[in-house]
Amino acid sequence: MDNHNLKTIVKLEDIHKAYGDVEVLKGITMEVTEGEVVVLVGPSGTGKSTLLRCINQLTIPDRGRVWLEEIELTDHKTDIDAARRHIGMVFQDFNLFNHLTALGNVTLGLTRVLGMHKEEAHQKAMQELERVGLEDKWMNYPGQLSGGQKQRVAIARSLAMDPVVMLFDEPTSALDPELIGEVLLVMKDLALGGMTMVCVTHEIGFAREVASRIVFMEHGVIAESGTPEKMLKNPDLPRTKQFLGKISDLH
Amino acid sequence: MDVLIILVPYILRGLKITLSVTAVALSSGLIFGCILAILRVYGGKWLSRAITVYTTVIRALPHILLLLIIYFMIARVIDLTPFWAGSLALAIISSAYQAEIIRGAIQSVPTGQMIAARSIGMSQFRAIWHVVLPQAFRHAIPPWSNEAAIVIKDSSLVYVLGVPEILRQAQYYSARTYQPFLAYITVAVIYFMLTFLTNRGLDALERRVHIPA
Amino acid sequence: MTFLAYLQIAIPKLAEGLLITFRVSLICLGIGVLIGFPAALARVYGPKWLRIIVTGYIEILRGTPVLVQLFLVYYGLPQFGLTLTAFSSAYIALGFNSSAYQAEYFRGAIQAISGGQMMAARSIGMSRIQAIRYVIIPQAFRFAIPAWSNEVVAMIKITSIVYLIAVPEMLYVAKELMAKYFNPFQTYITVGVIYLLVIAIMSIILNRLEKRLTIPGLDLAKRSSA
Repeated sequence: MDNHNLKTIVKLEDIHKAYGDVEVLKGITMEVTEGEVVVLVGPSGTGKSTLLRCINQLTIPDRGRVWLEEIELTDHKTDIDAARRHIGMVFQDFNLFNHLTALGNVTLGLTRVLGMHKEEAHQKAMQELERVGLEDKWMNYPGQLSGGQKQRVAIARSLAMDPVVMLFDEPTSALDPELIGEVLLVMKDLALGGMTMVCVTHEIGFAREVASRIVFMEHGVIAESGTPEKMLKNPDLPRTKQFLGKISDLH
Repeated sequence: MDVLIILVPYILRGLKITLSVTAVALSSGLIFGCILAILRVYGGKWLSRAITVYTTVIRALPHILLLLIIYFMIARVIDLTPFWAGSLALAIISSAYQAEIIRGAIQSVPTGQMIAARSIGMSQFRAIWHVVLPQAFRHAIPPWSNEAAIVIKDSSLVYVLGVPEILRQAQYYSARTYQPFLAYITVAVIYFMLTFLTNRGLDALERRVHIPA
Repeated sequence: MTFLAYLQIAIPKLAEGLLITFRVSLICLGIGVLIGFPAALARVYGPKWLRIIVTGYIEILRGTPVLVQLFLVYYGLPQFGLTLTAFSSAYIALGFNSSAYQAEYFRGAIQAISGGQMMAARSIGMSRIQAIRYVIIPQAFRFAIPAWSNEVVAMIKITSIVYLIAVPEMLYVAKELMAKYFNPFQTYITVGVIYLLVIAIMSIILNRLEKRLTIPGLDLAKRSSA
């Protein structure tokens, strides 16, 4: 991939985070350029989700700096709420606003955060719902939707804000197997459309198809990273091969 | 200040009564509540229904009304002092709530436990006593702690029967010294300490009997 | 006189008392929400010093008998020149008392919702305050409805103690009737039956209300964030 003219969207420098006595992140440095799809893999509890949340500062690292394009998010003078408008996040548990319809979920950010007028927000929201294939469910409440539908609405909700990067935290882990496909399809479309994405997932098939880079994390550090071809067929570390081999079999 | 010194004997006299009323009500309520709960869970359709109606009615009525009704009804039959009438009335009221708590706790023990106990030859009584109740006990502690605090506070209601517990004593005191605020604040502080200590104590008990999961 | 004849005299009077019971209950519940809900928010989202004060307030009001609180307001405050009517004393004492219990119900609801919903709201760029206002509060109210229904029933029961300061609610009227007609047994039973009917009907109404206010598809008893 030609990186010369592409800008860095996310930059992480020496990120450390501890919970109590347990140090979960022990110095992560990473860059994500425009259009890249980075897939983070690794055993549970190695801090992948924590790292993701450090990117949009939902978790504040103990040490280290984070940049979104040119803005340093870890600088306390930065208006982090404003910055978060440009970062989309999709959660394992969906976290849809239960008291609002699918349409309401997508328009809330548009009207209350971006200050759009109701009609404009409606239009934009319907566009995003169409994009994820749920325009006919706009009036349903989250409680009336299947897991896959909920996650797609969650994706629409984030996309409506026109983010420069989308973060996916195990988006399919809470879904029944037959519902995973519809969500991965939406994610693949996004990737192929050029969205910059950082995904924590076990779905190796997805990584194989659209990832620019697979990053293997273990024990709080990046053990190895590389293109899908390299990581899956011929990684440097035997541990990488072992882990990816295992989840490759399962997914 | 003289007013403070005079206060102490009033309070102490009342405190003794308050504690006694609470103790009688809570313990009798526990025994009677256990019986009601066990009969309700294991007693068969009609008994279960009858007890449900009974506890539902008791729990739907204002405590002070129940106190007055029961006192009046007991006073017609047996000659009881206000202290005993009040304590027993509170016991009857509390037993209905405790029955619900204990029932909930018993029913939260998986039915497999009873089946397993019977299958190794235990009688129903033994199974309840040795297998179900010990487990139910742990589940019951938090809501029971709440009920204990309620009974402590409800003991103030026997005031209406003229029982000389601390609230009544506070009234006598304020009639004598014209310091009602001091009197009632002191009573409030004492009640607070009683409920606080009870809750802390039961929390400690909960931690001690906790079964590691 | 026969029981039936007595009822003909008693029931209209008791009905008047019942209206007072409702009036006091409604106002006290209202005070309870107005103070209790913000208190719950303060307890979950406020700075530490505020949390400590609010927790203290809640624990003290829940740890002392409401009768003592009532007497404190009605008999104690005049000592400082603040003499309130029986009604006002009832409103204040029972209202504040209710607010402490309601604060706990609301706190439970807010905390059950908070985690994932707050994260999602912040992730689309909402400030904490916006998240609380547009995402947490609307859901917390609905989540707390079952507990709040209990509070309504509890309040109707508790208002009976204000007869001791001569507020003419139902129990007070009953006592007057007993003093006049010397039939405590009949009167108490009548009052008891009325309370049972009121509570039963109230429970049914509240149940219906719960169902109507439920967010479609969401089982309020289930505490999942999905």
